[in-house]
Amino acid sequence: MVHALEEVRRVLVPDGILIDMRPFAEHWRVEVVSMRGFQGTGWVDDLPEQVNGDLASNEAMRDVESRGWFRREREEFFPLFYSWDTPSEMEEFIDNDWADFIGLGEKDRKVTRSAWALGDADSRVRVRIQILIAKWKKL
Amino acid sequence: MSIQKDAERHETKHLHQYVDFTGKRVLEIGCGEGRLTWQYANGAESVIAVDLDHDSLRVAKVDRPYDLENKVHLAGAASEYLPFSKEKFDIAILAWSL
Repeated sequence: MVHALEEVRRVLVPDGILIDMRPFAEHWRVEVVSMRGFQGTGWVDDLPEQVNGDLASNEAMRDVESRGWFRREREEFFPLFYSWDTPSEMEEFIDNDWADFIGLGEKDRKVTRSAWALGDADSRVRVRIQILIAKWKKL
Repeated sequence: MSIQKDAERHETKHLHQYVDFTGKRVLEIGCGEGRLTWQYANGAESVIAVDLDHDSLRVAKVDRPYDLENKVHLAGAASEYLPFSKEKFDIAILAWSL
């Protein structure tokens, strides 16, 4: 990762801006949502690959900061939603596309299915992903 | 499957709060299918968007809006070996790729 950041620094102009934007593991919440509102129905489990990846990324940024390559100017977290029409579609996506990063326990699946089935006609399910955005200036 | 990714466009709103793309030369690393790219490229002078996943790049090339064809250039490249000369970009975006 540090080598990649060194490459980014090389191709940036002096005082160039680096934006680091990525999902951050934090037991993302599962929700059932409709026009009337939303309700939390469970939390995903963070798997080691995702957690370790976050830690490695943070360490890489600390490393390049300590080398005097970049200076952090601003940083925050914000939510981003992935949503599906049905719980089964969400479960399929989590089990196939996110299997290396997060999991969803059986209890949370059941609660979500029930809440969706008993919800409004326009109910959907969604995962509230925590996104980190940070602005760095090349030194 | 009827998945919607960031239908509320929170990502784009935050990105624009963090950086002004007007007239800037932008490098996006990890562009995927271009979901984010199409949201900010209009204001930039030029955008080079790279990804290692050639399937995603193929989708991006098909989905690229007509008015961005001369502005957004898509390429296969790894962040560890960027095939560009030094000091070529004003802004670099690591999009879900660090």
